[in-house]
Amino acid sequence: MLIKPSNVVSKLQLISIYFQQNSMSQYPIYYIKPIYSRDKQNKMLKTGEAQKLAHIPTRAALNDQTSSVYHNDTINLFINYVMKDGKKSLARELIEKTLEKIKRVQLEKYHKMENIKEKEKVELNPRIILYQAIVNSQPILHLTPIKRGGVTYQVPVPITDRRAQFTSMKWLIEAGKDKDRNIRFHDQLAYELIDAANNRGKVVKKKQDLHKQCEANRAYAHYRWS
Amino acid sequence: MLKSLLTKLISGKPPLPAALCQTAHFSTQPQPQERLQSFRSSENNPLNHKDDHIGLFYTITSDVKKQLFLYGGLPKTYQTQLNTFNETCLMIRKPSVDIINCLKQVDYSNPVVRYVVYGAKGNGKSLTLAHIIHYGYEAGFLILHLPWVGNWMRRCRESSISEFKPGSIDINLDAAAWLVHFKHQNSHLLANSDLRTTQDHVWSKRESTPKDAPLSELVEHGINRIKFASQCIVILAEEIKRLSTAGKCKTLVVVDGFNAFFYPHTRILTEKKEVVHPKNVTVTEAFSNLTKFDWTNGAVVVAVDEIAIAEKDQISHLPRYLLGRDGFDHMDPFVPVSVPTYTKVEFQSCMDYYRERRWVLPLDGQDEELQFLSAMNPYRLMILCNSA
Repeated sequence: MLIKPSNVVSKLQLISIYFQQNSMSQYPIYYIKPIYSRDKQNKMLKTGEAQKLAHIPTRAALNDQTSSVYHNDTINLFINYVMKDGKKSLARELIEKTLEKIKRVQLEKYHKMENIKEKEKVELNPRIILYQAIVNSQPILHLTPIKRGGVTYQVPVPITDRRAQFTSMKWLIEAGKDKDRNIRFHDQLAYELIDAANNRGKVVKKKQDLHKQCEANRAYAHYRWS
Repeated sequence: MLKSLLTKLISGKPPLPAALCQTAHFSTQPQPQERLQSFRSSENNPLNHKDDHIGLFYTITSDVKKQLFLYGGLPKTYQTQLNTFNETCLMIRKPSVDIINCLKQVDYSNPVVRYVVYGAKGNGKSLTLAHIIHYGYEAGFLILHLPWVGNWMRRCRESSISEFKPGSIDINLDAAAWLVHFKHQNSHLLANSDLRTTQDHVWSKRESTPKDAPLSELVEHGINRIKFASQCIVILAEEIKRLSTAGKCKTLVVVDGFNAFFYPHTRILTEKKEVVHPKNVTVTEAFSNLTKFDWTNGAVVVAVDEIAIAEKDQISHLPRYLLGRDGFDHMDPFVPVSVPTYTKVEFQSCMDYYRERRWVLPLDGQDEELQFLSAMNPYRLMILCNSA
């Protein structure tokens, strides 16, 4: 038997009385998150999965969730980490300028090369440089203070993927802020990203220092368990 | 375990985790070669540019660029673009081809024709003028090119009271800078011995320029004695008008942001901190003199631009509004030339050019998206492509 959409809504409203609300959210808990990526939408339309979701109430897309070909989750995350005081448009502008600067620096290198084979090696895609920089600056261990017998030890502990990604992004942004007054943040960040993508620079050094510290404190490693 | 982890780390680059591997579709794919080259024109001489070339890019050699645009003329953002692209290319567009066609066919024994280039912000008015200046250079015109009137009226470097005309204000530093620009742009023509002053000019008790002195001497005097730079421009304008009417030279006057000469709220202040009206600035006299139609053997191309006036008054981009009543009466009759946004062909050619220069990496559905986001506005497209 077919259920009319209006019936569905009224039923859902009924159910919502029994559902617990998301504390501050304007959406009841049974609202699903929107699927905004065009690729995913097309795939779902093909498999017929989209039909199932057709009448389920859906949240509105957030303002950084677009079906643009340039949409990218990692970069959005990076923008959010750069953001201060909720000034998202400023943060987005800074990252756009960073990508522009990376392109300019790399293209300059590209035009300087005389050999065609060498030219091909220059990475001109700023996004790939950004990802590579993030990957290259991810630590695999970090130090946690653990108190044993009244003494706090810095114990090396493996780091989760998400935490590692956060740390590397944080370090990159810090490195971008560590600059002269007359240099712009986006320029400095661009230089740091290019350096990190080539496994050089401040941030990669910082990662290696952390690893060295972990290596030095390996004797405390068992405090993780005992 | 710890050691193995560390050795793994030191031994080489870790592979990209799956979450970051969305980059796969950004990879550089080779584009078909014949399509890439279809946006370039082999005709690099603006004398031969015709309607068939519309939408194509042509290259300006670095020597010509150095001579014409060393002291301004190309917008700053475009200049950075050119440095990155490692070459100077301009798109041949309809408005500039139209004006060039007119300049070729017009009868120069008649009073000068005034062309007013107008269009919304970022549509390419300044680059249209750049193309016309290049044409003027190749066609042997004496070029009087004022890159941006806004620099004089809205952000002038210093101002002083004029000695020659009571109640007027001189902007001598900017005026001298312009004289350097003029001298540099026309260095090949100023050596011509026909260009001589037609009158005596007395600057002060001891300084004067005699009759029949070469024009370059007059310019030189303005540069060396910065105190007289503004007055020098006024005299230079008058002399050039006479010379071209006498048939000694062909003159092309190009002014960008011309409406700033008629916008009452300048940022030039007197000593009592009163706002100076542009008609009380000495250099305005020179250019309003040049844009009259009481002389022959020349052409006047001016662009009116919203950005040349205060932000609060940027309401419309049409010449009637921007020039105001006085300006419109001054310019009337003129040939209006509208600079529109990109057409489909121009847009495609621009994107192909960006891709060939490796500025934008090819991606499916990219053109369509950028077309909508930029609304075909050339400047917006450039800004969007910067981070694409």
